[in-house]
Amino acid sequence: MAHDLADLIANLASTDADTRAAAAESLGQMATDAAPAAVALVEACRDADDRVREWALAALEDLGPPPEDAVSKLTLLVSDKNPLTGYWAATLLGRCGEGAASAVDALAKAVDSGADLAVRERAAWALGQIGPAASAARGVLEKAAAAADERLARLASDALAGMEETG
Amino acid sequence: MAKKKKTVTKKSSSSLTSMWLSLTTIMSLVGGTGVSGWVNPDLPVIGPIVTSVMSMSSGSSTAQPSGPPGGMQPMQPGGTYPATMQPAAMQPAAMMTAGWGGSAQQPQQQPQQWGAASPTTPAVPQRPMASGSPPLASISYPPPPPAPPPPPPAANGKPPDALLICSFNIQVFGESKLAKPEVVEVLARVVRMFDIVAIQEVRAKSDSVVPTFVQAVNANGSRYHWVIGPRLGRTVSKEQYTFVYDTARVEVDPSSVGTAANPGDKLHRPPMFARFRTRANPPESAFTFWMVDIHTDPDEVPQEVDALADVFVAMQQARPDEDDVILLGDLNAAPNQFGRIAQIPNIGWAVSGTNTNTRRRQTYDNIIFSRAATAEYLGRWGVLDLQSTFGLSLDDALKVSDHNPVWAAFSPWEIRR
Repeated sequence: MAHDLADLIANLASTDADTRAAAAESLGQMATDAAPAAVALVEACRDADDRVREWALAALEDLGPPPEDAVSKLTLLVSDKNPLTGYWAATLLGRCGEGAASAVDALAKAVDSGADLAVRERAAWALGQIGPAASAARGVLEKAAAAADERLARLASDALAGMEETG
Repeated sequence: MAKKKKTVTKKSSSSLTSMWLSLTTIMSLVGGTGVSGWVNPDLPVIGPIVTSVMSMSSGSSTAQPSGPPGGMQPMQPGGTYPATMQPAAMQPAAMMTAGWGGSAQQPQQQPQQWGAASPTTPAVPQRPMASGSPPLASISYPPPPPAPPPPPPAANGKPPDALLICSFNIQVFGESKLAKPEVVEVLARVVRMFDIVAIQEVRAKSDSVVPTFVQAVNANGSRYHWVIGPRLGRTVSKEQYTFVYDTARVEVDPSSVGTAANPGDKLHRPPMFARFRTRANPPESAFTFWMVDIHTDPDEVPQEVDALADVFVAMQQARPDEDDVILLGDLNAAPNQFGRIAQIPNIGWAVSGTNTNTRRRQTYDNIIFSRAATAEYLGRWGVLDLQSTFGLSLDDALKVSDHNPVWAAFSPWEIRR
């Protein structure tokens, strides 16, 4: 990891809000080069400072798939109390596709939980991205496919369809 | 075929609703011959000016501009693009003309406020007042300004025979960006180059960001104004769309501003629309058109671009007297990822064969319209490279945005067959 990137990641945990905001902004301008900071950026979604959160989100939107070694930590963050953190953890896991197969249980729990709807939807989407390797979540997805929420139901149905096609 | 029907027909709300509800179904049945819509211009693709050799022309040989008296003619496709698009044009423009349309040439004349009393309530699919969705009433826009007196030289300098439309994703456009004067200065200079700028990614808790920015744009005597949509997004992080426009050159129908309906919740941030009209003289010759501003979710691009195809068709049919729809924004998709958009008959897009992000790696942004209906397209488009245009380092350009603005030029006069 480049020295600058390591510094930026460290600065995201600074006690000084301006330092955190500057680090998040710098990462937000790095596009896929910021991928190694994926976990730190997801954690920054909890930050009390608006600037930190907004730039962390901008970075997360653009960084593409996270590195493989981030999957285990992102899996833990799916159930974070902060919905924004859970949402982005699920999103990044989905971007890993089959590489996030180890996160299927956590994602399935999120879909089936009383969590924030956006988190449940993104978790269903992520299971669809994982594909046949997420077949253990079939029951949860079938239940979600019958959900009253149209978007959740559609995403769950899409995930199931993807399993049928390739599984 | 622009503006086949100028006779206004007020449609009943029930028929409009049913029209909208049927569109998704209809669109699912729409076939298509496929669209070659763009050619790869073997030209410089990044720079302040890019002239395309797209097959989309400014109209068939039978199409004629209904241009104003005085012998002004639309710029012909293939010509060079105005020097006013160069950075130097940001200086007070010695080449300023008397202005565009009646307001500039006849400042004592107060044009009617367009659209306010129109019997044609826009038959546009609008976002329902569903739980968690901002109602249309939450869309805010300031009162339209009075017709401006002749703009001072610094406010003009644009070509009199081309309407310049731009899409610009200003990454995290909020208070922290406004706190950087050097960034605001570049953003203001970008806006002054164009007649309408469709902006994505306004992210601020405060409502003062866009008004404060427009003040900066107008600091040189320009007379820009704006309309802005509601905060949209599925998480606590929301974004707004805004159109910033030059009141000396265009006006907006304030009754036309809204947010598209989002059946099935397929669009993370359903697009904002507004109907504009150039300030042409006589007003009957003005080019009128819908602008539809979009920022797709990068993780659900295939679904979103397909949903946008429905929005596009719905907008085409929203008013019997308006067939020009310009969909523009950050699609997070290159033309080969346009899905059902690319299957809309006669669809075309301005930007092709180039990258639109500041790092010059991706093609995300575009300007989409019907080649048949919007014959006003002049065949000119470009990607305004922030680095080369303003002499910035990559790091400094990225402080402005991670996207370069993209633009296209249209005739300011309605083209009728």
